[in-house]
Amino acid sequence: MLLLDVRDLKTHFRTDDGVVRAVDGVSFQVEKGKTLAIVGESGCGKSVTCMTIMGLNSPRNSVITGEAIFKDRDLLKLPSEELRKVRGKEISMIFQDPMTSLNPVYTIGNQLIEAVRLHEKVGKQAASRRALEMLKAVSIPRAETRLEDYPHQFSGGMRQRVMIAMALINNPDLLIADEPTTALDVTTQAQILKLMNELQRDFGSAIILVTHDLGVVAETADDVLVMYAAKPAEEGSYSEIFYQPEHPYTWGLLSSLPRLAAQGSDLKPIPGTPPSLLNPPSGCRFHLRCGYSFDRCVSEVPEYVGVESGSEHQVACHLEHDFRLTESKRLIGDMMAEV
Amino acid sequence: MVESNGARNSQPLLEVEDLEKHFPITRGVIFQKEIGRVQAVDGVSFTVNKGETLGVVGESGCGKSTMARCIMRLLDSTGGKIVFDGKDITNLSGKDLLRVRRDLMMVFQDPYASLNPHKRVGAIIGEALQVHKIGNATENRRRVQELLEVVGLNPEHYNRFPHEFSGGQRQRIGVARALAIQPKLIVCDEPVSALDVSVQAQILNLLKRLQREFDLTYVFIAHDLDVVRHISDRVAVMYLGKIVELGTGEDLYQRPLHPYAGALLSAVPIPNPNVARARKPIVLEGDVPSPINPPSACRFHPRCPRFQPGRCDVDEPQLELHGGEHQVACHFPLETWPMADLSLPAAGSAAASSS
Repeated sequence: MLLLDVRDLKTHFRTDDGVVRAVDGVSFQVEKGKTLAIVGESGCGKSVTCMTIMGLNSPRNSVITGEAIFKDRDLLKLPSEELRKVRGKEISMIFQDPMTSLNPVYTIGNQLIEAVRLHEKVGKQAASRRALEMLKAVSIPRAETRLEDYPHQFSGGMRQRVMIAMALINNPDLLIADEPTTALDVTTQAQILKLMNELQRDFGSAIILVTHDLGVVAETADDVLVMYAAKPAEEGSYSEIFYQPEHPYTWGLLSSLPRLAAQGSDLKPIPGTPPSLLNPPSGCRFHLRCGYSFDRCVSEVPEYVGVESGSEHQVACHLEHDFRLTESKRLIGDMMAEV
Repeated sequence: MVESNGARNSQPLLEVEDLEKHFPITRGVIFQKEIGRVQAVDGVSFTVNKGETLGVVGESGCGKSTMARCIMRLLDSTGGKIVFDGKDITNLSGKDLLRVRRDLMMVFQDPYASLNPHKRVGAIIGEALQVHKIGNATENRRRVQELLEVVGLNPEHYNRFPHEFSGGQRQRIGVARALAIQPKLIVCDEPVSALDVSVQAQILNLLKRLQREFDLTYVFIAHDLDVVRHISDRVAVMYLGKIVELGTGEDLYQRPLHPYAGALLSAVPIPNPNVARARKPIVLEGDVPSPINPPSACRFHPRCPRFQPGRCDVDEPQLELHGGEHQVACHFPLETWPMADLSLPAAGSAAASSS
């Protein structure tokens, strides 16, 4: 069942240097109970996409167009009071940095209770019981006593668990997790990813997972959206993106990973750096760094369409479908076989 | 791996013996009383041979950066010995230390914070030449431009400021700065952690090329196990101020012996969904304990799935050879990999109760 349908979303920021097109025509869908991963390098617009859906951009300097249909309502056109009722209740968010996203002067019990009482008319006691249950659900040891503790008394991994508890306390339909494990060590990351998977199974929430780590995507995602320079480059199921990607940028991302490189050989990086969104390249935004670009890539923006008619695997590239398939097999096939 | 450095002879360039760095925790303003110690690095020994790359992995707070700073003599160690190029540098100071520093350079993690924003790139890269009084102004200018070219930047950007460069380009400047005085050893402390994957790959390739061209020796510190494996000949795994396992990339990644190394490896996400979803990762419980009051004996024992009471919490395992160059500090090293069965072959009850 379709839960969120984002169509041609654009977020442009007015700055002193000109208009930054941080998100420039992004469309995707999130199914109920599924995980959509949004990947891309820093500055590609993945976080801004989430902030826009949540209505967290300042209206003073941003211009937002497009649609984000969530349960028959367009989130982008909802009055702010209505949106406040959705935020934290039906859609909640986990931010990257667990060190700065909790309020340091309130106990975590206080913050969890606030999250409940904001949306439901329940007594303090009942809310407190919910808070305790949630802390237990995210496996925080000695949850009873820890409700009285302040954020600084928790380690990074534990704080991220508290954030997850807070995000899930109202049993949201959609959880937006913006780089939830980036600030954590690998063993802690493994704990948090496992926890998110279990909670998704138990609570049935859909997840939008924003990350730059393709390893994390491989472990958790059902569908993957690859973004480049504020535009979608490719979207498909995890097996399509990892085993049969059709966009040269996706090839480049996978080939850059040390894990997938043959031992002793050099890595195959993408040359150059991501472009400025103040002044993005003409045509296909990837053409300056793409080994396959030809005249059309410079002059004409590629359409973002299914790789074959009717296919849900979508890509924005001028290359021929057959050629892309062959190249994909040549570049990615062997690499994946060796891991 | 091994074949990447033909010059991998067994002549040691850096020997670290029982290195220890404790930071005192004091209370009081005038009469400072020591009330505890952060045992950041606690008895670490290893050697780095000429032309090789020693990787160091571990989670935050395990002491890898403190160790790097001790080797660089940016911090004074509180115990142990550092021998560089046959010379004990542990307690050198003044002119003697300056002379040694010609051969020791460092590349830092954050390319945004490690370059002085008020200085031009040329001055940043050339600073070491001035400090060590090498060459005159024209020679140095030429040298800096040559270095910019070597690391893949435009030599004409000599007069620009750091903010005019992207993260990856800044890290190239950091590398050029480290190369300026032709050091023998470069300590890289998380040099690619702040970079995007496509740019990270560029810097890793650059470091490998420079090693071949200039016969460099690296100590490469990172928390990303895949990155470390890619660049290193041998890898040391640190946990709470100690090395728990040390071996060639092949040894460590194909046949890890220490349960912590195993858990660490199995926690690394694999960018191949079918493989990633089929395996059963060992998820460690709890957090890394505080280095102020580390657990007794084996410091990993409270989290270890193979913990044996009466042994692991009483008797500290030493780093010992396990065939070839593979060293491990564990009483009950892993027999198989992947860790299909975590319980000990003969025991069972004791090990099972802790998991």
